[in-house]
Amino acid sequence: MSATIPLIDKTMVGQHGARPGAMGFLTDTTLCIGCKACEVACKQWNQLPMDNFGFTGHSYDNTGDLAAATWRHVVFVEQISDSTGQRATAMAPFQSNWLMMSDVCKHCVNAGCLEACPTGAIIRTEFDTVVIQQDICNGCGYCIPACPYGVPELSATDHQAHKCTLCYDRLDSGLEPACAKACPTDSIQFGPVTALMEHAQTRVADLQSRGVDSAYIYGDRAIGGTGGIDGNNAFFILTAEPEVYNLPAYPELPQDKVGRAFLTTFGAALALGVAAVVALRG
Amino acid sequence: MDISYKRQWETRGSRRRAVPAEAPTSYYNLPVIHKAHWGWLVIIYFFLGGISAGSYVIATVADLFGGPDARRIRQVGRYLALGALLPSPVLLILDLGRPERFYRMLRVLKLRSPMSVGTWGLTIFGGFCGLSALIQTAEDGLFGSFTLPRRFLLALPSKPIGVLGTLFGFLVGGYTGVLLAATAVPLWAKNYLLLGPLFLTSAMSTASAAIVLVLVSIRSTSHRTLKRLERLDLIAIVLELVLLLAAKANLGPIIARPLQVGKLARVYRWGVLGAGITLPLTLLSVTMLWRKAPARLLGALSSLLVLVGGLLLRYVMVEAGHASADDPQATFAFARKP
Repeated sequence: MSATIPLIDKTMVGQHGARPGAMGFLTDTTLCIGCKACEVACKQWNQLPMDNFGFTGHSYDNTGDLAAATWRHVVFVEQISDSTGQRATAMAPFQSNWLMMSDVCKHCVNAGCLEACPTGAIIRTEFDTVVIQQDICNGCGYCIPACPYGVPELSATDHQAHKCTLCYDRLDSGLEPACAKACPTDSIQFGPVTALMEHAQTRVADLQSRGVDSAYIYGDRAIGGTGGIDGNNAFFILTAEPEVYNLPAYPELPQDKVGRAFLTTFGAALALGVAAVVALRG
Repeated sequence: MDISYKRQWETRGSRRRAVPAEAPTSYYNLPVIHKAHWGWLVIIYFFLGGISAGSYVIATVADLFGGPDARRIRQVGRYLALGALLPSPVLLILDLGRPERFYRMLRVLKLRSPMSVGTWGLTIFGGFCGLSALIQTAEDGLFGSFTLPRRFLLALPSKPIGVLGTLFGFLVGGYTGVLLAATAVPLWAKNYLLLGPLFLTSAMSTASAAIVLVLVSIRSTSHRTLKRLERLDLIAIVLELVLLLAAKANLGPIIARPLQVGKLARVYRWGVLGAGITLPLTLLSVTMLWRKAPARLLGALSSLLVLVGGLLLRYVMVEAGHASADDPQATFAFARKP
């Protein structure tokens, strides 16, 4: 069962760049029972329209993906073989070979979507969460490929970008987000990021002492919140490699490349300017 | 893993993924990231914006260093810069999900967002294109001989205006590559140092090709003037080839797959590398080396090919990015350090 999680820098485990007062989610996948109450609660509270109704054949996942009208998405992975490639004949210490994980916007400490947004529609709130202001967004769609986790999406209905708001309206009224409220096993926990991160570390140590060697935190500076993103305010406890849950292991903040990219472009401009002078001079 | 699998319940697009995944770890071979929605509107804008930017730069250089022979280059360059720029904002606004909200791009300037930088660059560059084209109309006597607007326009310092406008021209020609690179799309982001230079170089080659084509078709220029533009075209195409090959090599086998198999790969190989670069390179070399060659015909032909190649380059780069975003293995390869 002990899949090797490739941590490059173990000293970064639990390290997080969250600002003071940051609120977030801890989604503990070892407690998830795949009931999809979070998906339903999210749709109900945020009045999101239904997705296309159909059968995917992907275990119990008929939701498919995070999208404009889907801000929680429960991932179902039925693992037939264990980490050695053999069919599992014994139950794993804590969790069966059926992995479930409720995916959500990561509310990055440095968010690619927010930095990409050319209208300033995407803002950081007083809770350190990332929210798209629907009255500003003009549907340019640049935040969509700028997210390293594939979270925001353009709506086919109103042609604007949508994603999880971490229930900004509920937070504003002192309530916890709808998904965390509805979660029957407390797999989704809401709270201050620093407290949640401490809890996550205790929980991972606890899991490991019970024989779940593969448990780890996804969304700190060691894995998931890497490359200038500096941590996710919505982070996870996983028990298999990030790719198993369709998550990138070491994502990067796309905008960290902008300065260097413009610099080489400027160099090319100089070279082409000289070439033009040489070719066109009288 | 079922390679031909198709997400039928999805509204986002029903096209089959171009890149099958062979690696074992993946979530039902579903994309990790979301792809951009950009299609032909943006591809044509990339093409026209490049021609406009390159034309302005060429017109300014011809004005400053070209001498009296380059008068025609300056004239056509200034008109073409404005002509190719005019449809650009229309294309970009039509591409928005909410076109009537386009002006919201102009409520902030964010230096780390290439789209914001590009919006402002395009707006300011549009002003320079209009001004330089107006000065050109005054020089061409389209305002009559002694009218007030003509005297005003001729009194403007056209050379310093050209130099300032050229700076924004370079920005408009190159930011499009940076815009693609500053995303999570593996095929674009992996080449973040090369995409800006590639788009700018292609802007120069397509612009000089467009000017040649106009000059040949209005039959009003000397052989020597054309030769100068063809020289510039030659340098730009060679640089473009080097950048393209370097970018492809830098991608590695997994991320480069959209450029190696399938329809896009064929367009890339035969359309961009073949018809857009190798063929005009051969034609231009022939006119340079063989004095008896029908220079005007070959020049026009190679210019046409360069223009087609420039459009196909934009098409391939945008569409290969979409295929790359749809390929979970490309994202995993990009987001996993060795």
